[in-house]
Amino acid sequence: MNFPRDFSRPTERRAWIAALLGPLPGKRWEELALELFAWQFARVPEFRRLCEGHDVTPARLRSWSEIPAMPQQLFKRARLFAHRDATPQSVYETSGTTTGEPGRQYLLRTDIYEAVAVEGARRAGFFEDAPDFHFIATSPHEAPHSSLSAMFGFWNRAMTRGRGRFAMDERGFATLRHDLARARRPVALCGTAFGFVHFLDALPAPLPLPRGSRLLETGGFKGRVREIPKPELYAQLARTFCVPESAIWNEYGMSELSSQAYAHGTGGLHATPPWARVLVVDPATGHEVSVGHEGLVRWIDLANVDSVLSLQTLDRAERTSRGFRLIGRLPRTEPRGCSLGAEDLLTPALPVSSIA
Amino acid sequence: MKALSSTTRERIDLLARAYPRLFPRAELLRLVRGQLGHVDALDRWIRRESAHVRARSPRLIYHICAGNLAVSTMTSIAHGLLVGAQNVVKLPGPREDDATRREITAFVRGLPMQLRKLVRLQSGRDEKTMQRADIVIAFGSDATMATLRAQLRPDQKFIAHGHAVSLLWIDRPEHLTATELRACATDVLTYDQLGCLSPQAIYLSPGHDVEALGRKLAHALETQWHRLNAKPSRPLGVRARIAEARDVAWALGHRMWLPPSGHLGWTLMHDPDPAFAASPLHGIISIRISSAVELEKNLNTVRGRISTVGVAGVASSSPWREPFLKLGVSRFCRAGRMQFPPLSWHHDGRAPLGELVTWMDDETTS
Repeated sequence: MNFPRDFSRPTERRAWIAALLGPLPGKRWEELALELFAWQFARVPEFRRLCEGHDVTPARLRSWSEIPAMPQQLFKRARLFAHRDATPQSVYETSGTTTGEPGRQYLLRTDIYEAVAVEGARRAGFFEDAPDFHFIATSPHEAPHSSLSAMFGFWNRAMTRGRGRFAMDERGFATLRHDLARARRPVALCGTAFGFVHFLDALPAPLPLPRGSRLLETGGFKGRVREIPKPELYAQLARTFCVPESAIWNEYGMSELSSQAYAHGTGGLHATPPWARVLVVDPATGHEVSVGHEGLVRWIDLANVDSVLSLQTLDRAERTSRGFRLIGRLPRTEPRGCSLGAEDLLTPALPVSSIA
Repeated sequence: MKALSSTTRERIDLLARAYPRLFPRAELLRLVRGQLGHVDALDRWIRRESAHVRARSPRLIYHICAGNLAVSTMTSIAHGLLVGAQNVVKLPGPREDDATRREITAFVRGLPMQLRKLVRLQSGRDEKTMQRADIVIAFGSDATMATLRAQLRPDQKFIAHGHAVSLLWIDRPEHLTATELRACATDVLTYDQLGCLSPQAIYLSPGHDVEALGRKLAHALETQWHRLNAKPSRPLGVRARIAEARDVAWALGHRMWLPPSGHLGWTLMHDPDPAFAASPLHGIISIRISSAVELEKNLNTVRGRISTVGVAGVASSSPWREPFLKLGVSRFCRAGRMQFPPLSWHHDGRAPLGELVTWMDDETTS
């Protein structure tokens, strides 16, 4: 099958970026989605088999919303890479908190990811007034397999010419605290929720940030020992940094995707950039639930060129008329009494004498 | 809770009258006789060899329920009642599907007053009562068991039922009768596969026609699903797990058999990886192929945690038991009976009533 575009060629990738960042009326969006679908269908055997299982082929597909979505779990069990023999420039790994085995996202090049990660945050309004950026995260250099560190690195390069600080340990926190205390311009302080918790613990006193500053948290706690409910964390962040809760942003993304959704405040609705869409679906039918109902988040991300464009998460959300409200992730496993689950297989059985 | 004032025979009668199908009188009598040597062993001195012996009941048993299945807790309570103990039952926490809590509560409400007064239900864990108990019986993960153990007094008896799996073993599928196929389907679909006696995989010896077996099992599963009087619920979380399992199987190219109408009652697949992997449950079962000699390797991750092996199509001369015994399996049964062990079943290798009582010996009358 001949395709109008070969996504392994840099010129074609640049053209794709231009197409995504340009005007995207519904018809154009549909064209691009179907084109990318057909390309990945031909090149990712796991995706092709999934689609055929659902009786969907490029010839039979009528709408982008019918594209079957790859379960996130598949990224742990298969190499979902549309350029089979090529060497990926980057491999991003998921946290692997559920089964111990991380999922892997292979990117031929990071060009598209960088372009949409920067432009997505800009269009969401997070870059307004060009604040100074700092990150409660490991740097991309120290964590080459973290898609989050990579994204923060892209922002750092785009917004502060690489001057932003990355801090994730006691020493880094001390320097960051010093820098933030001396800040005179608005600051954008970005990090994972558990990173913020550690930073809060390291602060001896409130650290008011200049007017116009904002915070961005992402990633939840992912199995960390200490968890704080989101409203409590936001209230604590607002108090400590003297910012309104509306200036606290949530970024919702994942290693398996290239695009992100953003929301403000504790109950804020998430919105995607124009080149990505989220459907809140009933997993049994794959159809979108009605407004006001709960389902699972399904992404269709036109920037996710090198693996698969559609991803089925286990994240619960409520569909609203203006976006979606994240509720949380389904529990890792069903409630089990005496029945053994996947996570139990990671730990050896206790000798009978120690438990009986 | 009121103190005990009934005999074992009276309690057997009361329990059997309230729940004749779950606890038939004849089986209860057999259980007490088998476990304690005499049906009156708790009520009077019984002559045994050179002495008279009498069983002593625990005063208080603290039960910590499994969150997924009511029947294990009901059985645990019944054992406590048979020996005449007071029973405090910590119910599972509230969840998306509260069926287990409701079933346990209904079971206790359905007991006759003389027995009901020996049972108290609790929503949260009551450390004080747990500390006072003579025996603590708990269902849960090994980590939970270890935590509980550390909280108990050294003289308290702790009966821990950690997580376990069960399997079906099919040796010669071409010899399976329709009844045996239906029995396999019964094992898979009973209790929505949620208990430790539910098969999480079907192991098949190599060299057989998997396609033919899959077709026949699929038919049996569909028939059995339609026979279920109360279909298990499929809330969002369960729908998600089933859809995910099916999509993963499609993507990996595994052979899959699905209900003709696409309902979510059961999912049968052939996973070419012989190594055991936990099922997402809710009627999702994989056929895996392994020779008897390779079973030890393929089931190594669940060594010491396999509760029951249900068998079908097995030749009496075949040495199929050996590898399972080496893996620590404690119960073998025919397919179709996996979820219905006799009351005398040694759960996790323990004597169900024998573990609860202590003994007094009187040698003066010998």
